[in-house]
Amino acid sequence: MGELKYRSKDIGEFVPQPDDDMIVCRCEEVTKGEIRKAVHEGLWTIAEIRRYLRCGMGLCQGQTCAKLVKGIVARELKVSPAELEPATSRAPMRPTEMHVFADETEETDL
Amino acid sequence: MKNSDVIVIGAGIIGSASAYYLAKKGYKVTVLEKSDIIGDGGSSRNGGGVRQSGRDPRELPLAMYGIEKLWPNLSEELGADVEYHKKGNLRLGKTEKHLEILKKLADKASAVGLDVRMIGPDDVKEINPYLSDEVIGASWCPTDGHANPLKATLAYYMAARRLGVSYITGEDVKEIKKIKGKARQVVTQTDTYEADYIVLAAGYESRRIAGTVGIDIPMVKKLIECLVTEAEPRMFEQMLGTAEADFYGHQTNHGSFVIGGSTGFELYKKDNGTPVNYSDTVPCICRGIIRYIPKLKDAKIVRAWGGWSDNMSDGVPVIDTVSEVPGLILACGFTGHGFGIAPGVGTVISNLVAGEEPVCDISGLKYDRFYAKDVKK
Amino acid sequence: MKIERFDLIIVGAGPSGLSAAIEAAKHGMKVVVFDENARPGGQLFKQIHKFFGSKEHKAKIRGFHIGEQLLKEADDLGVRVELNSTVVGLYQDREVVVRMGEEVHHFKGDSIIIATGAAENMVMFDGWNLPGVMGAGAAQTLMNLYGVKPGEKILMLGSGNVGLVVSYQLLQAGCEVVALVDAAPKIGGYGVHAAKVARTGVPFYLSHTIKKAEGDEYVTGVTIAEVDSHFQFIPGTDKHFDVDTICVAVGLSPMSQLLKMAGCEMEDNPKRGGQVPIIGKYGETSVPGIFSAGDVSGIEEASSAMIEGRMSGVVASEYLGFISKEERDEELEKLDNSLDALRQGMFAPKNRGKKIENTEEGIHISENLLKKGYVADDEIERFPGVTHKVGIHPVIECTQNIPCNPCQDACSKHCIKIGSEITALPAVEADSTCINCGMCVASCPGQAIFLVDEDTKDGRATVTLPYEFLPIPKVGDAGIALGRSGQKVCDAVVTNIRTSKAFDGTSLLTISVPKEYAMKARFFKAAD
Repeated sequence: MGELKYRSKDIGEFVPQPDDDMIVCRCEEVTKGEIRKAVHEGLWTIAEIRRYLRCGMGLCQGQTCAKLVKGIVARELKVSPAELEPATSRAPMRPTEMHVFADETEETDL
Repeated sequence: MKNSDVIVIGAGIIGSASAYYLAKKGYKVTVLEKSDIIGDGGSSRNGGGVRQSGRDPRELPLAMYGIEKLWPNLSEELGADVEYHKKGNLRLGKTEKHLEILKKLADKASAVGLDVRMIGPDDVKEINPYLSDEVIGASWCPTDGHANPLKATLAYYMAARRLGVSYITGEDVKEIKKIKGKARQVVTQTDTYEADYIVLAAGYESRRIAGTVGIDIPMVKKLIECLVTEAEPRMFEQMLGTAEADFYGHQTNHGSFVIGGSTGFELYKKDNGTPVNYSDTVPCICRGIIRYIPKLKDAKIVRAWGGWSDNMSDGVPVIDTVSEVPGLILACGFTGHGFGIAPGVGTVISNLVAGEEPVCDISGLKYDRFYAKDVKK
Repeated sequence: MKIERFDLIIVGAGPSGLSAAIEAAKHGMKVVVFDENARPGGQLFKQIHKFFGSKEHKAKIRGFHIGEQLLKEADDLGVRVELNSTVVGLYQDREVVVRMGEEVHHFKGDSIIIATGAAENMVMFDGWNLPGVMGAGAAQTLMNLYGVKPGEKILMLGSGNVGLVVSYQLLQAGCEVVALVDAAPKIGGYGVHAAKVARTGVPFYLSHTIKKAEGDEYVTGVTIAEVDSHFQFIPGTDKHFDVDTICVAVGLSPMSQLLKMAGCEMEDNPKRGGQVPIIGKYGETSVPGIFSAGDVSGIEEASSAMIEGRMSGVVASEYLGFISKEERDEELEKLDNSLDALRQGMFAPKNRGKKIENTEEGIHISENLLKKGYVADDEIERFPGVTHKVGIHPVIECTQNIPCNPCQDACSKHCIKIGSEITALPAVEADSTCINCGMCVASCPGQAIFLVDEDTKDGRATVTLPYEFLPIPKVGDAGIALGRSGQKVCDAVVTNIRTSKAFDGTSLLTISVPKEYAMKARFFKAAD
C-alpha cells in the first residue's frame, strides 16, 4: 500500500469533472463522480468503495466495471491501478437461485 | 516514536466508533489496522441486526442505550446514510421446544425492562405475511431493527477521519509494551506508537495482543457465513431470527436480502488463510430460509461471504479497563453480535478513557470474570 | 450431499480446457470438463476465420473446425464434457461445486485445471450505456452462433486482432462498417487482418476515439475525434457517423475469479491482461494440484491456449503419477518448442508495446499499413513475396513477421519459401513454376496471397483473389476493382470462379483488369 497506508495523507481536493455524471457500474448505477468523491472521503481500497457505493456488487459482480472503477480510483490516488487490490472473489460465480443451492442431494450420472 | 492521546487497535466498527467518540471529546487518536482495508473483519460480515431481544442481560443495557439514544440520529450525526430501520425483530419458532427457548429469552429481557413478548401464529403472519405455516409462534420486540453494517462501519471511519483521527492500515501489531507499569507503546512490524491509552478492539487478534501484556481473554474463532441476494421487490422491514439460530437476516434498502446462517460445524471449520466459504453453508442457509419464507426460493444469490467471529466462553464481550495494565482498555470478544451495540460501545469506551461514569451499565462485561469457581466459597 | 471424485476436473471447455483434457485422458486419467455454455469449444465455435501458425498449431483450419476436432478427440478418449454446468465455486481441498440444471453437485478433483478464459473489456464514453453499444465478441456471438446481425451500420472501436477480425465478419454478415477507430497511433493487430478490411473500403481512424454515442433510447449515431499523444481530444477534429451499433474491442480481461477464490496467489499484470494467477512455466499455481491454462492466466491467441492446455494436462498427469517425470519432460520439450514458435515475430508477447520499424529481414515496415490499414502501392514492391514474372505467379502481400507458414506447405511446386523460422516473410522462389492451382491463395489465413498474370496479351491482366462474401459473383459479372486502400482503381469483370473442398470455404475469384492495374486491383465489388 506504500504511502496510502496513512489514511490522512493529502491527496488533494475533490475537483468536479464534466463527466462525473457518467454511469460506471451499470448494475447498481454508480457514477464516476460518486466514486471520485468517495475516494476523497477516505475510501482508498476497492473493497471499501464497493461496500460503500455498491459498485460491482450487482448481478454481474463487477465483470464489466471492475477495471473501470480501479482506473478511476487509481487516478484519484495518483497510483498505478496494479497497486490496488481487487475485490475478493466469492461464490457463487454466477447468480444462483436459493432453491438450486438448497437441492444438493441427488447423485449425478457421471 | 509517534504520539497520540489514544491508540485504537482495530479499525472495525468497534474501533472506529470508539475513535469517533474519543475524537469528539477532543482526544488525539491513532487507529492501527492490520488489514489494508477498513472494517474488513466481522464489521463487514454480519447480518446487520440492531436488536435487543435475544441478548444476554449483561450486554442488554448497551443495546438499549444505543437504540434509544444513538441509532435514531446516527446517519445525521455521521453524515452518511447507515440505513437504520427500527421496525422490530421477530424471532421465529417452529416447535414447542423453540417456543420454550424464546420465552425464556423474552422473560429475561422483560425483567430488565425491554418490551419483548411472545406472539402467536396469527400475529406473526400479520407482521410478516411471507412467513410459512411452519412458524407457530415468535418473540416480538418492536423496538429492534437493522442497519447496513458496511455503510455504518465506513461512516464511522469517515466521520472519525474528518475529526482528525489518524488511520494507518496494513499495520500489524506485534505487542503492547508497558513503560513504568503502564500500557504505553504499541509495536508494529515497522513502527512504535505511543499514547496514554490503548484501546484493544481487534476481534480475535485481541487475544494474542492482550497476551503480550499478560492478559488472557478466553475466546475462540468461529466461522460466520452470510449470503446476499439480488434486489427483490420490497417484502418486509423487520429483522428476522430463529430460535434454532439456523438463519437470521433482513431486506436492505437496496432490496437485496442479507442472510446469515449455519451448518452447526462453525467452530470446527478450518482456516486456510484465504477468505473462507464452505461449500455446504450456503445450501444449508437456503434450505433454512425456504422453509421459513418460501417465496424467497427463486431469489438469486449473488454473493456469499465468510469471516471469523471472536467467541467468548460465556457469549458476551469484554468491555473494561484492566487494573493490572493501567492505560489498556479492552473492547473485544463480541461473539458475533457486536454490530448493533457498536455505537453504545464506542460511547462507553470514550467514557472509560475520560474517566467518566459509563453511560450505561457494563459491569457484567469485566475482563476478570473468567476464573474457575472456587468450590469452597 | 455426496462428493464425486475425479482424477482431474477442468473448468472451461474452450481450446485450452479441451486440449488439457485430451492430454490427461491419453495418460489414463479420469477427466471431467465443466462448461457453463450450451455449446462446447469456448470462443472457437464463433471463429469462422482460418487460424495462423503452422501445421502443428492447426494453421489454416477455421476455428470452429478446430473445436470440432478437439471435441471428437476428447470424446474418443472418454473425457466427460458436461455442458450447461456452471461452476459456482472452487472451495478448499479442491472441491468444485457445479450447478447442473436445478441442482448443485459437489465434486473433488485430485487435480484441477482452470481454463475459464477471458471477458471483454469496456471503455467509458458519453452514452456507453446505450443499447447498441456492445462488445465485439458479443457481436460475433450474435452473428456467428445465433445468425443475428448485430446492426446495419456499425462503428468498430479497437484495431487489435479482435476488432479487425470481427469487422471483417460483420462485413461478411452484410453489415456496413462505417469506420474502424483506435485511440492508439497505430493498428494493434496483424497487418494482413487490417488489409483485408481496408481493401473493402472501410476507413481507419487511428489516434481517434469515441467522444459520444448519440441517441436517447438507443444508439443512432456516434461522434469520434482525434486525440493527442496524451489521449486528450483535439478541438475541431470531431467526425460524426450515423450508426445503429457501436462495437467495442478494447481488449480482454482474464476471468480468474475461481483461482482467486481457491486461494491461489494472484497479481495484477497489465501485460497478461489484468488479474492473473502467479504461475510456473506450465500453469502451476501456488496451490498444489491447481493449474491454469489459456487466457485465464494471460491473454493470448487460441493457438497458444491449446498448447498451454496440453502442457497443463501433461503436468497434471505427472503430478498424480500417471506418467513419469522423464515422460513429462519429453512431452513438455516438444510443447515448449511448439509454443515458442508461436511466440516469435513482431507480435510476440515480449515485443508488446515496442516500436518495431523493420522486419527481421531488415525491410522497413509500411507506415501506411500501421496507420491506414493497407500497404501503399509504392511500398508493396519491397517485400519478398512481391515479385514480377511472365505468366501466372503468386504475389504474397505478407509484410510483417507473424508466426504462420501454411502457404509454404500449400504449394506443391515449392514456389513459396518461408524456411524453418515460421515468422519469416514468405518469398517467391525465382526459378519456380506456378501451376495456378490456387492452394496458396486459399491457405493464407491473412488472405494476403493473389495469383497475378500481369499481361494476358490483350492489354489486360488477371488477378485471382480470395473471396469470402455472399453472393459469390458469376463469371461475366461486371463491377469495379478496388485497390488496397478500398478506393476504386478501375472497372473489372469476373473471368473465373473456383470453389473446392480443398479451399475450405474460400472462393477464388479471378478478375480481368487493364494491365496497368495488375498490381493495384485487390478486391472486387459487383456493380449494383
